[in-house]
Amino acid sequence: MKIINKNTARALLASALVLLLAACGGESTAPAASDASVTFNSQAETGADAFASNCAACHGANLEGTTLGPILSGNSFVQRWGTQTPALLLNNIQANMPPGGNDGISDEDYTNIVAHILSSNGVDAVTEALTASTDFEIADNISQVVARRSRPEPEPPQGVTVAGTIENFTPVTDAMLENPDPADWPMHRRNYYGHSYSPLSQINTDNVGGMTLEWVWNMYEGDSEPAPLVYDGIMYLINPGNVIQALDAATGELIWENWAGPANRQDMRNIAIYNDKIIQATTDARLVALDARTGEQVWETEVADSSKGFSNSSGPIVADGKVILGLAGCARYIPEDCYISAHDANTGELEWRFNTIAKANGPGGDTWGELPDLFRAGGETWITGSYDPDLKLTYWGTAQQKPWVPVSRHLTINDVGLFTNSTVAVSTDTGELDWFFQHVPAEALDLDEVFERILVNRGDDKLVFSLGKYGILWKNDRVSGEFQAYKETVFQNAFTDIDDETGLVTYREDIQNAKLNEWTSACPSSAGGKDWHSMTYHPPTGTMIAPLSQTCLENAAREVALVQGGGGLAASRKFFEMPGTDGNLGKIGAYNVDTMDEVWSYQQRASFHTGTMSTGGNLVFVGDLDRRFKAFDVTTGEIVWETRLGTSVQGHPVSFAVDGKQYIAVTAALGGTSPRAVPGVILTEIKYPRSGNAVYVFALPD
Amino acid sequence: MKLGHKTFSKLITIFACTLTLVFSVSAVAQSGTFRARLSPMPTTPQTVTTITGEGEVILTLEGNTLTVRGNFAGMNSAATMAHVHNGPPAQPGPVVHQLEITKMPAGEISAVLELTDEQVSALNNNALYIQVHSETNPPGELRGWVFARN
Repeated sequence: MKIINKNTARALLASALVLLLAACGGESTAPAASDASVTFNSQAETGADAFASNCAACHGANLEGTTLGPILSGNSFVQRWGTQTPALLLNNIQANMPPGGNDGISDEDYTNIVAHILSSNGVDAVTEALTASTDFEIADNISQVVARRSRPEPEPPQGVTVAGTIENFTPVTDAMLENPDPADWPMHRRNYYGHSYSPLSQINTDNVGGMTLEWVWNMYEGDSEPAPLVYDGIMYLINPGNVIQALDAATGELIWENWAGPANRQDMRNIAIYNDKIIQATTDARLVALDARTGEQVWETEVADSSKGFSNSSGPIVADGKVILGLAGCARYIPEDCYISAHDANTGELEWRFNTIAKANGPGGDTWGELPDLFRAGGETWITGSYDPDLKLTYWGTAQQKPWVPVSRHLTINDVGLFTNSTVAVSTDTGELDWFFQHVPAEALDLDEVFERILVNRGDDKLVFSLGKYGILWKNDRVSGEFQAYKETVFQNAFTDIDDETGLVTYREDIQNAKLNEWTSACPSSAGGKDWHSMTYHPPTGTMIAPLSQTCLENAAREVALVQGGGGLAASRKFFEMPGTDGNLGKIGAYNVDTMDEVWSYQQRASFHTGTMSTGGNLVFVGDLDRRFKAFDVTTGEIVWETRLGTSVQGHPVSFAVDGKQYIAVTAALGGTSPRAVPGVILTEIKYPRSGNAVYVFALPD
Repeated sequence: MKLGHKTFSKLITIFACTLTLVFSVSAVAQSGTFRARLSPMPTTPQTVTTITGEGEVILTLEGNTLTVRGNFAGMNSAATMAHVHNGPPAQPGPVVHQLEITKMPAGEISAVLELTDEQVSALNNNALYIQVHSETNPPGELRGWVFARN
């Protein structure tokens, strides 16, 4: 922790005050509103050109969105920004957009772009030119929205839209979740340890070559990275837009469908099953429990206020009778906290919360420099954790501090920012922190360590493995948190040293001292050496098999004002192939968990976009951007089966059995952030349909 | 301190091994074939259609003489210059040599260069890269680090 002397502190305080005053309207960087010739309409007209030059490549010429950037029009825009002000929108765009850098884009250009976006969304009750402090509520000035509020309109589907009943349903007990039936895949990574491993061996290295498509089911369009659940012959499938479907897992017949809302195109990675309920997180940060037999809603509760930017993209784990859930969207400077929460599985009632950001007067509070609590941001838990029923601990990864670069967050490389970019072990009984291990303190390149925690027992050793965006496979003792070992799985040049004894990383000097608007080049990129695509642990061979990605980035921090409601990510980025990979973005690496040695690896041009899933048949499955779904021999890394789907293969493969027959399922899907966007600018030769979300199910012929 | 027989033998062995290692490294360093894959400079959705192309350069080292032969295609505009730079993988660095290049969007790269000992060392440590500049991308359109050819 860096000690700040009084003079430095005063200087920082004075700087912060100046920034605060400027951001609050003390000084306006927008065009002079006193210039009578400049109106909202003239700004919007000029802004159309600036938008076309700087924004349309990702957001579409008509703000319709593309695979590289979200839609900026219609209900999606109004839902996200309707209750906000133009000043906040301007602040957000200036800090974060365009991602490749903002050289040559003036403050006036940014203001005009905001006017164009607002005008395109029907803001029509405004005549005065926008400034950096224009603070009207956006939706109040869209006459169509105002009119819609006063008259009823057809609502999107809500609740059960296809009725049906699963007969002879057997409630799911804690014991079933602790030791799943080999035929089932009853949670996101199949077991509490997060292995993504099915013991089924009917399909194996000898016969997988004969595996064929059994059935396929088209899903709703939108961003999608799902992990289906399969329990007692029923597949529960989360679609974009918070829609869950129950399907006969052997035939693909739809049994029931429920729309929990909001009806959008956003992604949810996984759901949970417990007792007689399917439990889902929604993209607007609610928890909803459905009757697993019928899809009827049983209870609903708010996890966080979505109007303040909170959201969920991953669902819960049910551990010890509690629904435990993370939270995303914590990058804003607002008083509300970022947390992991636990709810009663029968009622949804809140039981505890664990805050991932240390407050100034709490444990770890002195690791954020002099920053007031309001400006301590990040620490999202956007990937579901795992659970040790014996230790009664749940293990989660936390995301990095926000904004992405220390200088943007008014901190230094010494302000490590607990409890970000860490593994946290939290008591399921109380929500209290048992231990933490911060993998990358003071993270500086948008490379978070938030992904799945895989629990492994080797002899008497109880271990937890994780692999974050730096591509480093970490091994920690999961009783104490003590560092055990690490393995670099892809090339990285962000750290000049990783201490063999403690795991402490040392950033390259230029990364430590990165200034505003100064480009820094590093590997891997924000697409991650590994990202959300989970790795698998194959217990019979003691092998961890990970889907990896090989790209690099240039990164430049942007200035972020310390102003309530502000914040964000605040960096310009450019991407390029990782040197030494011969242009191969995709890599599968297999690692011995005892020695941490690489057992085998496979590289290809197309990036991988599913988790890896291993089986008792000595197979590991994975899918890629180029629509290929492949099976490897776990021991040798040899490809033993391959097929091609309708669009990019994305999500989490699973395996299950019905009436003694083994199936392999995987989703083809679209959407996502860095893991899609970065290959999108490098793998320009790979073409795939921009629709085609579906689940594909394979088996051996009868 | 008087050295025992075993200790002395060990020291002799270590000395011999060190000499062998130094000699071996030096010998390997003075010859070999290397390759650079040329691919687009850092890009974004905004620039992905204007920073384009690919290429391959084969480099052969004999003593301190490096023979460079390569080709490129698909650039957004005509090439203007090509250089060898000194910088570790993914970290830009200064120009150390100029290369001949076809002044077209596609063509050939060539040169016969005399490397300093430091540059030979950099070559063997993957710390040289080739960068191609073009009319529409004066800072650079293609780039590729040089690695020993498998």
